[in-house]
Amino acid sequence: MSGRSALRQKTKYLILLAVIILLASTYLVWDNGVFTEHKVDFNAEIRPIINKKCITCHGGVKRSGEFSLLFRSDALSPNESGKRAIVPGSVEESEMIRRINHHDPEERMPPEGDPLPPEEIELLTRWIEQGAQWEDHWAYVKLEPIDPPAVETDWVANDIDKFIFKQLQVGELLPSPRADKATLLRRVSLDLTGLPPTPAELDAFLADSSANAYENVVDQLLASPKYGERWTAMWMDLARYADSKGYEKDGPRNMWKYRDWLINAFNEDKPFDQFTIEQLAGDLLPNPTEEQMIATAFHRNTMNNDEGGTDDEEFRVASVIDRTNTTWDVWQATTMSCVQCHSHPYDPIRHEEYYQFYAFLNNSSDADVPSEAPNLRQFKKEEDRKKLEEVKNWVITHTASADDKLEKAQELIHMVKFTEPKVHPKHYKKVTNGALADGKFLEADNGGYAMIPNYLLDGKNQIILSYAANKSLGSIEFRKDSPDGELLADWHVQKMEGGFNKTIIPIKPTTGRHDVYMVFRSPAGVGRTCKIEWVLFNKALPGEDQVQYPEVKQKFISLLNTREVDETPVMIERPEYFSRKTHVFVRGNWLVDGEEVQPDVPQSLPALPEGAPRNRLGMAQWMVSTENPLTARVAVNRFWAQLFGRGIVETIEDFGTQGAKPTHPELLDWLAMQLMHEYDWSIKSLLKEIVMSATYQQSSKITPELQELDPANQWLARGPRVRLSAEQNRDQALAVSGLLSDKMHGPSVMPPQPEGLWQVVYSGMEWETSEGEDKHRRGLYTYWRRTSPYPSMIAFDSPSREFCVTRRIPTNTPLQALVSLNDPVFMEAARSLAQRMINEGGDTTEERIASGYKMAMVKPIDAKKKEALLTLYQEAIQYYQENPEETAKMAGEDNQQLAALAIVANAMMNLDEFVTKG
Amino acid sequence: MRLFEEARQRAAEYETRRHFLKQCTSGLGGIALGSLFGCNPFSDSTGQVLTAAPINRNPLAPAAPHFAPQAKRVIYLHMAGAPSQLELFDYKPELAKLHGLDCPQSLLEGKRFAFIQGVPKMLGPQAKFAPRGESGTMVSDLLPYFHEVVDEAAIIKTLHTDEFNHAPAQLLVQTGSARLGRPSMGSWVTYGLGSENDNLPGFIVLVSGGNTPSAGKSVWGSGFLPTIYQGVQCRSEGDPVLYVSNPEGMNRDLRRKSLDAINRINEDEYQEMGDPETLTRISQYEMAFRMQISVPEIMDISKEPDYIHQMYGTEPGKASFANNCLLARRLSERGVRFIQLYDWGWDTHGSSKDGAIEHGFRDKCKQTDQPVAALIKDLKQRGLLEETLVVWGGEFGRTPMQENRNGREMPFMGRDHHTEAFSMWMAGGGVKGGISYGETDEIGYYGIKDRVHIHDLQATILHQMGMHHEQLTYHFQGRDFRLTDVAGKVVKDILA
Repeated sequence: MSGRSALRQKTKYLILLAVIILLASTYLVWDNGVFTEHKVDFNAEIRPIINKKCITCHGGVKRSGEFSLLFRSDALSPNESGKRAIVPGSVEESEMIRRINHHDPEERMPPEGDPLPPEEIELLTRWIEQGAQWEDHWAYVKLEPIDPPAVETDWVANDIDKFIFKQLQVGELLPSPRADKATLLRRVSLDLTGLPPTPAELDAFLADSSANAYENVVDQLLASPKYGERWTAMWMDLARYADSKGYEKDGPRNMWKYRDWLINAFNEDKPFDQFTIEQLAGDLLPNPTEEQMIATAFHRNTMNNDEGGTDDEEFRVASVIDRTNTTWDVWQATTMSCVQCHSHPYDPIRHEEYYQFYAFLNNSSDADVPSEAPNLRQFKKEEDRKKLEEVKNWVITHTASADDKLEKAQELIHMVKFTEPKVHPKHYKKVTNGALADGKFLEADNGGYAMIPNYLLDGKNQIILSYAANKSLGSIEFRKDSPDGELLADWHVQKMEGGFNKTIIPIKPTTGRHDVYMVFRSPAGVGRTCKIEWVLFNKALPGEDQVQYPEVKQKFISLLNTREVDETPVMIERPEYFSRKTHVFVRGNWLVDGEEVQPDVPQSLPALPEGAPRNRLGMAQWMVSTENPLTARVAVNRFWAQLFGRGIVETIEDFGTQGAKPTHPELLDWLAMQLMHEYDWSIKSLLKEIVMSATYQQSSKITPELQELDPANQWLARGPRVRLSAEQNRDQALAVSGLLSDKMHGPSVMPPQPEGLWQVVYSGMEWETSEGEDKHRRGLYTYWRRTSPYPSMIAFDSPSREFCVTRRIPTNTPLQALVSLNDPVFMEAARSLAQRMINEGGDTTEERIASGYKMAMVKPIDAKKKEALLTLYQEAIQYYQENPEETAKMAGEDNQQLAALAIVANAMMNLDEFVTKG
Repeated sequence: MRLFEEARQRAAEYETRRHFLKQCTSGLGGIALGSLFGCNPFSDSTGQVLTAAPINRNPLAPAAPHFAPQAKRVIYLHMAGAPSQLELFDYKPELAKLHGLDCPQSLLEGKRFAFIQGVPKMLGPQAKFAPRGESGTMVSDLLPYFHEVVDEAAIIKTLHTDEFNHAPAQLLVQTGSARLGRPSMGSWVTYGLGSENDNLPGFIVLVSGGNTPSAGKSVWGSGFLPTIYQGVQCRSEGDPVLYVSNPEGMNRDLRRKSLDAINRINEDEYQEMGDPETLTRISQYEMAFRMQISVPEIMDISKEPDYIHQMYGTEPGKASFANNCLLARRLSERGVRFIQLYDWGWDTHGSSKDGAIEHGFRDKCKQTDQPVAALIKDLKQRGLLEETLVVWGGEFGRTPMQENRNGREMPFMGRDHHTEAFSMWMAGGGVKGGISYGETDEIGYYGIKDRVHIHDLQATILHQMGMHHEQLTYHFQGRDFRLTDVAGKVVKDILA
């Protein structure tokens, strides 16, 4: 037995002894020289019993006997029998105590299995005696300043290490030595930028013996543009980013500008509070920039169902539900989806509170329509941007009142960029002798009509109509309040090429709210001549009496119609006169409305900050208020988990009572406080603090002792060792082989994938392999189609991104081996690395292999490995000598050395140490 | 060699730990799985995870079911697009009399159809029915080969579903939910029971008819289960499994040598770093190497004897449903747990010749009838039918009315999507043969006796595999999920 094990053994006895003494003294504790009664700790002692033995039947879903232990107020109320289960201070009156002690198994609680053990009964009894105090679950407790513990060791590099060291002492573990410089450089480079260092960077780092050599490297990595790409790849899972809409048709979606927004936001180190507000409510900020609008596409990554016959409202609701759940998953690590149908089974959130929160998100203009409106339209052509400028100047010049000029100009720009607020056919009522083609577009026979209900027409003098027509035949009458009511406009259908187009129809000015009827007229035998996509009422441009007016109006219409735009789906709030009401869905069924609710946050968390508007913006501000106990904890845990492969709270997706407990609760809180108050929400500062810790810099070698004592490395007596992510895996292979393009931003690309994967019905979409450097872009730029994601990424645990997935569960499967062994993309990388060995690696095979290894692994090769790879090289050479026709197939040319080195490179790129961050 | 054994062992342990971690974090999941693997207690009294210690179970190793199973595996033949029950199994002479008449308003009120608008006409059955087999089960003349195996099958005539569009309806059948994101039936089954073959995936998917199903690959996705449980599509063109072939210019010997070099270095790496994950990787690379042989070998039907090819109507090298049926039998022989065939092209609205009851539909029957019957016979003659549950069906049925898309007359005979009643059949795996179950009304619109919901079908399939559908759960986003959502009852009357 080693000295340390002996020590451990001794301590075990001591602990045992202490436990015995503690039990014998029945809850008396030594306090300031006297024995006092032990105060029962609700979170540590009572909640675990409740959660394990009671909550399934007496929680948020089942409330057997009308008794629930989810909230104190419920628990203390009389239950079905009229008795009170818990009467604070009175054990005799507490039905719960009577029932858990009952001798009759029919009466006894819990009803199945063994009775509670005496020590649990004792705890519950004392707790009630002491007043049955409730405490919040740790994650809901307000964050308070906390000092790092004092520890005596010279191992500590920064405050993080003090927390870690203290915990190691408890477990009688010692930290591991610092990783060697090469390993450390590769680790920190992969962690911060997602890419390995180059051999030159390694040499520079090895040569730099100054005290701050490592810190300098960290600063360089944080400043690298690659940094933003790496963290964007992580955030794309949370945002459920995809380049397609999902569901059956899964058609294309223009979403890449949001991805680029993320890259820039990370690179600029946009503070996390601002980063949050812009994504959740950028559109509601004062005079939002186009970038802030694009940020809101975060919540436009919900799926959109274009299949014929689907009910757009059903899928709009599905999107809002997804936004609600995703917001809670990402920022609060709370499994809100439970509460859709009933009160949370374990966590203190009530059913109606789900819909109060849902109400924040239920007033956006999007409606599951095929165009994905509302979109931000950004003109690709300079001439269109100029046109907009001209029309804007026209509005300024011809708006009479100086006070109104700016506002009118902004209204114009808003109209051109977003064309809102429009009314889609699904909101039309009384559709008669007509139908919604595909369930989406209005068409009608002669005399058929549809009605736009209850529209506020004050100040509106024109309609903007989006329609499609193959013939210039028939007309549409717009009438007030009935199909034969007052005629507001009579429009003759104009044939238009190329799908839906917008036109302007002047209407008779009127006031107040009215139902507007659209009555279709067409000559006999012609049938339906026109499909309507949407209708919008607004006010015409000023200056109608001017000579140039028709020309300006024409420019305006052409701006509405041009297809030379990048359209990004964004969030836009519906105007007040048009706002949606929210009801509770009874048992989660969207067809069964319960009571109406107003936007609010759950009561068990702090209220909306004072002065915050009761809308999405207020909700976002609440999310990043320093009063919110979850946001900062969840955020630091997420970044921590990315570096260590495991969170301080392992269940990074669930901070509720059913999630894991933090291994280092004080460290979590300290980091959260630092993030908010010291780093001003700077993620770069947070990451720097973590990677500068001695904890992070430890060697990841797992001794048999550590494997036994801490197999999952939760106490961090060693550094992290985890498999690379799907993106890192691809990027690294391309990087070390010299193929990787450093082009940033822009539309998603289609690197080579096997033929025939995109055989999808009802879709003309094709995988068109990108040309030139676009074949070799970083993984995050790969076109992401939800129903058929890029196969090698899926093999390495990328989620398909239909929904937000906050934690990828890493697997280790034979299908992964097949990808990195045989995927032509990986073979191309191997060939290219082999070429680099020849070009840059020296003259002898031995030198070339050593240099190839260094390019791939970024450390020098040792003799045994070189020997193994050299043997493989010789076997390969022999193979190509015996099978000369195979050489060109492997090497692309008749070069046996290149072919054999490609085999060696392929082996290198399949080594455990290559696919692992060690 | 010892190192390899150790690697396998470690692989099993490591995989399981993760799997286990998820499961034991909650009361209910813990209980459900406790019965499967003896859920123990690396958790404190709150059920929270304290430490992660290894347990002995490879996630794909065969696992004990809840009770003695009738079937060891499932072959699920999904006719994507939804065949018409009225031309195949649900004999409705009354409907013939109503042919061409307006559909009564009572059948249209409050209903939504995918395409029917206004008042459609009734469409009589477009096939002749007669009693078949010893059981005298009514089957139409469009399935002459099936007549020979009808005494093996239990035909359910009263299936009903909640979804009238293809993608959501297929998802409902295959994942228990109409929305994307849930694990498919095959994933649930391999998650519950593991695989019996070390060299092949436990859940294999074969697709014919020129297209994947409308719902895409999600119908064989693993949803929130670990990806190791997702269906592996074996393709008839290109690599049968993606990337299973060695790169050009490299043969199997050279691959072996390169794996030897990789293993040697990885072993050193393990000695140096001590990470059990490295050992898992070594064993997974070895399995990949075995798959490189076993997958192409099993996909190569050219060595099957002539009489087998005649029986199935197979042509080696062609992408066809017949070939897939033969492959299903071959995979059954090798212990693959869940074999899923999708055949696309059954959507018969009457808007084109291919999609017409009197043309395309008959062609689809012709293409599939012989191989389906051959599969049943072949399984039987090999003694495999009694332990293999074969399921046939679409995602919904077809209306007794002629479709009138956008209120217009259609160029061909066709039927719209119908959710209220449709037919499926099961054979083998402990199911009674030669019976019909459930009755529909005189025109085949509603089930009027013994209705069977999709969740009931799923509960029944799991039951035949020895699993209780309410106990096969997985904890995700704060609650336990199961294939049958919150419904499902086993259709006991069709079980032998």
